[in-house]
Amino acid sequence: MNTLNRSMMNSISVSLSRRTMLEKTAAGFGMLGLAGVAASRANAATDQDHLPHQDLPVKPRAKRVIFLFMNGGPSHIDTFDPKPALAKYEGTQPTGKLYKKPKSSGFMPSPFKFSHHGQSGIPVSESLPHLAKVIDDCCIIRSLHTDVPNHEPALLQMHTGNIQPIRPAFGSWLLYGLGTENQNLPGYVVLRPSPNIVVGPALWSNSFLPAKYQATSILTSDLQVEKLIRHIRNPRYSLREQREQLDLVEALNRKHMEARAGDSELEAQIRSMETAYRMQIQAFDTLNLDKETESTREMYGKSTFAQSCLMARRLVESGVRCVTVYYTNKGNQPWDTHANHNASHTKLCADSDKATAALITDLKQRGLLEDTLVIWGGEFGRTPYSELRNGKDKPAGRDHHHTAFSMLLAGGGVKGGMVYGNSDELGMIATERPMHVHDFHATLLHLMGLDHEKLTYRYSGRDFRLTDVSGSVCHDIMV
Amino acid sequence: MELFRKDIVSQLTVYLKSVAVVAHLRLMLLPMVVHLAMTSVAVADSRGIGIDWKEAAEFWAVQVPQIQSKPEVNFIQWPRQRMDFFTLSAMEKQSLSPASEAPRGTLLRRLYYDLTGLPPSFEEVNDFINDPAPDAYLQRVDRLLESPRFGERMASMWLNLARYAEDQAHQVGKDTKHFYPNAYRYRRWVIDAFNRDLSYTDFIKLQLAGDLYDDTTHEDLVAVGFIGLGPKYYNRGRLEVKAEEWADQVDTVMRTFQGLTVGCARCHDHKFDPITMHDYYGLAGVFANTELVNVAYDKPADQVSKEDLQAHRFTAHLVKDKDGEDLSLFERGNVDQPGEKVPRGFIQWLSQDQPVSFNSEGSGRRELADRIASNENPLTARVYVNRLWSLFFNRGLVGSPSNFGVLGERPTHPELLDDLAVRFIQNGGSTKHLIREIVLSSTYRQSSLADSKSLVQDPENQWLSRMSRRRLSVEMWRDSLLAVSGDLYLKGGPSLELDDPNNVRRTVFARVSRLKLNDLLIQMDYPDANVHAAKRSVTTTPLQKLFAMNSPFMLRQSDRVVEGLEDMTKIEDGITHLYRRILSRVPDLSELNLATRFLQKEDNPAPDSKRWGLLAQALMISNEMLYLD
Repeated sequence: MNTLNRSMMNSISVSLSRRTMLEKTAAGFGMLGLAGVAASRANAATDQDHLPHQDLPVKPRAKRVIFLFMNGGPSHIDTFDPKPALAKYEGTQPTGKLYKKPKSSGFMPSPFKFSHHGQSGIPVSESLPHLAKVIDDCCIIRSLHTDVPNHEPALLQMHTGNIQPIRPAFGSWLLYGLGTENQNLPGYVVLRPSPNIVVGPALWSNSFLPAKYQATSILTSDLQVEKLIRHIRNPRYSLREQREQLDLVEALNRKHMEARAGDSELEAQIRSMETAYRMQIQAFDTLNLDKETESTREMYGKSTFAQSCLMARRLVESGVRCVTVYYTNKGNQPWDTHANHNASHTKLCADSDKATAALITDLKQRGLLEDTLVIWGGEFGRTPYSELRNGKDKPAGRDHHHTAFSMLLAGGGVKGGMVYGNSDELGMIATERPMHVHDFHATLLHLMGLDHEKLTYRYSGRDFRLTDVSGSVCHDIMV
Repeated sequence: MELFRKDIVSQLTVYLKSVAVVAHLRLMLLPMVVHLAMTSVAVADSRGIGIDWKEAAEFWAVQVPQIQSKPEVNFIQWPRQRMDFFTLSAMEKQSLSPASEAPRGTLLRRLYYDLTGLPPSFEEVNDFINDPAPDAYLQRVDRLLESPRFGERMASMWLNLARYAEDQAHQVGKDTKHFYPNAYRYRRWVIDAFNRDLSYTDFIKLQLAGDLYDDTTHEDLVAVGFIGLGPKYYNRGRLEVKAEEWADQVDTVMRTFQGLTVGCARCHDHKFDPITMHDYYGLAGVFANTELVNVAYDKPADQVSKEDLQAHRFTAHLVKDKDGEDLSLFERGNVDQPGEKVPRGFIQWLSQDQPVSFNSEGSGRRELADRIASNENPLTARVYVNRLWSLFFNRGLVGSPSNFGVLGERPTHPELLDDLAVRFIQNGGSTKHLIREIVLSSTYRQSSLADSKSLVQDPENQWLSRMSRRRLSVEMWRDSLLAVSGDLYLKGGPSLELDDPNNVRRTVFARVSRLKLNDLLIQMDYPDANVHAAKRSVTTTPLQKLFAMNSPFMLRQSDRVVEGLEDMTKIEDGITHLYRRILSRVPDLSELNLATRFLQKEDNPAPDSKRWGLLAQALMISNEMLYLD
């Protein structure tokens, strides 16, 4: 074996890495249509090098995504979709095809005043005063709709495109398509302010995509860095001791590999150990919010969600591809305001609004907003009519509503100061330029430089996509 | 035009699947084939009118395998087993020659992992190296095949095919009524079935329809857990949700046992294989008439209360038949568009001289099991034999183990596959018999170090002119770490959490969750338990290394190995001790020097236990520990 010359070794490692690429990332035939980027993907697979954007099938506008997810479903008519006609029909029972028979006192207008903001003059509810100030950087979609008005299927659909829990999440698809920008950090990070989230890990599952596209889920209720990522710090050995140990491991591994013709898989293991060592240091640094000034931390707010938004900024700044921040607190879906809606909504908005606007502002100040897409929304909206779950005497709530709801987008190549689509005059159904979740996903991938019809993975005999068999890209909202 | 196009599709597909075509060319051409194929299938309707069944019957995988004549070879001294003639003949055709035999220590380590999932001890390796008996290797093979560890190792393979798990991907509130806390009974049955070398025919029948055969024993009843532990989805009362569950069952059964992706025909006829919607709904009807039930198992039914059942006390998770009622075909897979009724039955493609329909009064599950387990079924033995093969060579003779259809890969050694399949049936479907032949073969005993020609010409090693190097599975790796420290506790039973610090059992006995799969399992490529997994992927990530470097588990295991070491008077003795325990060998001089220098880093002639621990951990997380030559 020692007679192998260098060029021969190179050709072996090249062919092995191609094999590796086929077996490990694309299951051989998975990547239909991505032939043009096959060579770069080989890098992404073995090296996880950042994929050069010019090789992508679509011109990328965004490099990173932060999805701020309002668990439970925020009310569209109390945030971004004003419906003055509700006052006229107040107390009238809704008609038409409804998912279930409502226990309702009829249509219930929003108590929140809407006024026009920014140069664009987009109407924003008074419950969101901070977002109102950055509305010129935001695009409001008022015409989203999803298939089922129940949390589980709607959450799954918003994350994986499918209402049953057996598909990869959008973040895993992004990693599969793009690789990551920073080898020393996980590429897809999920921040959870509290342990329990409805549905749970299936929302950020890599499912049948290879494990390297998995999310790293971080519980942010305790911001002590040691607690954030499992095994990020050795509880016993100092970094110096560990360095010495890993130098020894590397020497042993090199010797082992030399006797094995420089097998590229063994080389990958050696590199991965080094990456892990550096990740300890980098992650420690990135996740450490003490490095932020008090005024920045103050700008976001002190709630766990707000601090998680700040952490999201630090992560994308360090090259993490996709971050999802969930909005949970003591409840696992606080925005699910079936009762006492107005008061709960006010409280939730106060926290979420300030942090979200701070994130947008902060990203903009750092020049990151133009290629970082920020998304704010939930799995569906809430009914324009009331829900009287606790009886007529108790403050009314709003029920789940899936046929029209709103989403806020900012940065990442999306036009600012724009309203896209609309629901009918009562906020019941998306009538003007309706956008299904599949369309939303197609657009998201397009912004990232990926063609949703070509980003496929062969599994169980067919090519799966984030958008299943439908979805069309909405070009109108793009810069 | 249609014929012409079909011809192009099949020719191009065959060309693309041929192993000679380099990978990137496949990637470039495949979209074109897919496009052509999609336009050509428009001629077929849900009954398969438009499919040329005569032509379809000529596809290699649906022809009944035949015993083959032993190929002529030049290097006549090399073969030890019948299968060696086939592999050698293929090598010679490629102008490749087999690698030399692996060193004895390497071979024994390989054999131990392959048959038991555990490493040999230093003493076992040493005994073997010094054993002059001509049948020294054979003795080890036969002993390990009789070890109870054999079934545990084999179960790791089977449970992924069966998407074995103990809960559901959904949990609404604290409701656990759809969970399977007694799933381990099925796992125990699988382990036991491999250990007693249950014939594959019975292995199939019991898992698909054990409840429907009169002579099924009480112990064998739990085998239907293969179906009975299936996913139950959110809102499962609704028709569209039921349809999802049936789809999972059709997919799992047909990919596991037949290597066919029938699930593709749920919304339209299969785009590549002659499998129709009619076929799909004939099979889905079987599962639409099968109910997943929790029944009294440890105690007679009349002694088990309703509360016991609800709390899963004394129960097993089984299935039972409903009144046989045919299912309507759903147009485009949409349950709101029911079409004609489809009689429950098997698929047309595999029913060449037999009726498709079952005419069963029950679900048709028993008829389905009989058709799959039949010796006439062309796919059953091939698919299984190929799975066994891939356990030992890292790759099946067919590279797509759960897809033997048109888009699946073609066998690299078609004659060998058929010969193995036929002889497997002739030998009564004995798994151990086949495995014995494999591990006794010269092909298996090759070194993983080969000449440069083998590496350059055949980087994927499909011609088997060396042994493929493999990373250990998560089960093997964790079990080894427990074994070398002496902590491994060899007992099964109800599952334990993998994170439980007191869990020192084999990894196969860990709880597997659909809701939240254990971190270590996820990181080390254990597949998502929501769906059938054809094979494990092997990925290398820094998170795996963080576990190796920093987890309390690793620290504890390295502590256990070094207990008492600081009292050793000579440092070399301590190092040798560690090498023997962890890597089952003695260190060479350069390794002794490396380790000595590491231990005496700060001119400390007597390293403390902390330093010894660092060294032990270094060996435990080295590539030598993680890879099998």
